[in-house]
Amino acid sequence: MTRTPRADFWFSILLTAFGAAVTFESWRMPRLENLGIDPMSAPGLTPGLLGVVLTGLGLALFARGVRAEPDPEPVETEAGWGRFAVTLALCLGYALVLLGRLPFWAATAIFVAAFVLAFTWRERPAWRTGLVGVALALVVAMTVTLLFERVFLVRLP
Amino acid sequence: MDALISLATAIGQVATPVSLFNVAWATLLGMCVGMMPGLTATLGIALLTTLTFRMGAGDAILILICMYVGAIYGGSRTAILLNIPGTPANAASALDGFPLARAGRAGEAMGLATVGSFFGSIIGLILLALIAPQLAEFGLKFQSYEFFWLAVFGVVISGRLTAMDDPLKGWIAGFLGLFLAQVGQEGIHAHQRFSYGSVDLAGGFGLLPALVGAFGFAEILCVMKQPAYRTVRDMGDRVLPRLRDVINRWWTILRSGLLGTVMGIVPGVGEDMGAWVSYAAARRASREPGAFGKGATEGLIAAEAGNNAAVPGAIIPVLTLAVPGSAPAAVLLAAMFIHGVRPGPLIMIENPDFIMQVAAMLFWASVAILVFGLALTRPMLFVLRVRREHLMPIVFVLCVVGAFAIASRVFDVWVMLGFGILGFALRQMNYPMAPLVLGIVLGDILDKNFRRGMVLSDGSFEPFVTRPISAVLAALTIVTILLGLGPVRRAISEFRRRRD
Repeated sequence: MTRTPRADFWFSILLTAFGAAVTFESWRMPRLENLGIDPMSAPGLTPGLLGVVLTGLGLALFARGVRAEPDPEPVETEAGWGRFAVTLALCLGYALVLLGRLPFWAATAIFVAAFVLAFTWRERPAWRTGLVGVALALVVAMTVTLLFERVFLVRLP
Repeated sequence: MDALISLATAIGQVATPVSLFNVAWATLLGMCVGMMPGLTATLGIALLTTLTFRMGAGDAILILICMYVGAIYGGSRTAILLNIPGTPANAASALDGFPLARAGRAGEAMGLATVGSFFGSIIGLILLALIAPQLAEFGLKFQSYEFFWLAVFGVVISGRLTAMDDPLKGWIAGFLGLFLAQVGQEGIHAHQRFSYGSVDLAGGFGLLPALVGAFGFAEILCVMKQPAYRTVRDMGDRVLPRLRDVINRWWTILRSGLLGTVMGIVPGVGEDMGAWVSYAAARRASREPGAFGKGATEGLIAAEAGNNAAVPGAIIPVLTLAVPGSAPAAVLLAAMFIHGVRPGPLIMIENPDFIMQVAAMLFWASVAILVFGLALTRPMLFVLRVRREHLMPIVFVLCVVGAFAIASRVFDVWVMLGFGILGFALRQMNYPMAPLVLGIVLGDILDKNFRRGMVLSDGSFEPFVTRPISAVLAALTIVTILLGLGPVRRAISEFRRRRD
């Protein structure tokens, strides 16, 4: 049935709480009766219904999680989660920190070079790895900037 | 017959030099996107929507359809050569494609996959031309009650079929999607829901940034977490399939084309189920079912004809009911709205030629995959040699630009990041993405029609279950839920076991 029982158990608690919060917030929403609006078209009606359904689904997942057997041996390696963490940090750093503070082309060049080097720095010869990373970064930054701004007339962040 | 004549006329009209040029590059780009593990048809269409939104509606939609067809087909290459489906729709193709490649018949496998995809797509587009006008006319009978049930049924059936082992997770994803669509200004009284004073949240979550996140950023995180895939050097056998091999498989192709189209029509189910259902039907009908999974050419053709037939199939409800048949079709639907085309039951009144134009666009995209698929097999192997460490940062840059460019809002970049992390977490816990996407698309339809229906019925739920079409949709929804419940499934398996 399920291959991630422990994650399901914690997610079920989160989902049930979320569903209950949605229902409560929907109940609190104004019903706009002072504007002469039919109560059956109140803004909170559909979200309230969805909140109830989500709570029910969360409880069903919880009931199953309680009965489920412990997780099978994890297949992922620590190296996999390490690569994930580096990727996430680089992507968030680019989107939330670099963009807006630097010109788009410069932020993009730094991000691409950092990404390539972060995953290939152990490869030899080192000068070639570095050169490929920097060259790719410059080509991508220039091409994307020119292509989007000049050809497709799209505004860049 | 009239429909087929209209289709032939439309095919001629679409064949202008500019359009054929667009068909060529967009299909080729789609094939490259499909071939690269980590890039899906949904992401390809979402990013191209950004690039084409200043173009005319006809050119833009043609390009997006070519990307769609090309990507679903292109994924078969990766499935055959690397045993990694290029897109989720090609998972069934890997079962027999990869054993064929290991046996030194990679070229033959790619040739047969190409022909299967071509004919599957052609069958699908003919059915689109025949069915869509009728379905649009039928859709005119839909009122608020029916649209409410259509939204609920779409999420329930999509959740059931995209998570066959664990329908509960499919339904959670679907209802979560429906809720996410409730954030922001609602469509009846313009009241801001769940925005808590934020101007950005009042605008709601944009569909395209959400999809770029769920299918782009989430995929980047998944790909980088996996061990590296090995690259392909070459294959030596012939690519052009023998005519008798194709003729001998005509019934498999026809059956898979029909099944694929039907699976495409079912809301939110899409190409992967088109391939799996066609594959299962081919195995049941085969004289040698034991050969399936070990390099049966019939299985490969069935899977590829099925997934490519599901592309026109998934566009049928987009055009006639404004309900997407799959995740890529959801982006196509959003792109149509951006370009001022209003799909839905009124399409045959407001824009009667549009259905045939779309079928004609699908025809030229199918021709392009046949030509490029057979002629450029060896040059396209180069695409598979691109390393993920070089490709993924470029994809992320495109995701950021794609999310930002439609409305020039930094908030959309945050939405993309948020949905990417949510999508990654849900995937790690084996939640399907298609019901989530369908839920986001159908959330507005559900909300408006539920409340309108309740107002019209003066607070009574009776018309929701007594009007004929509503009653059928309600019954289908309940049956789908019952069939997905653990005790019912166990009882059915026990009954089957005893019967056998």
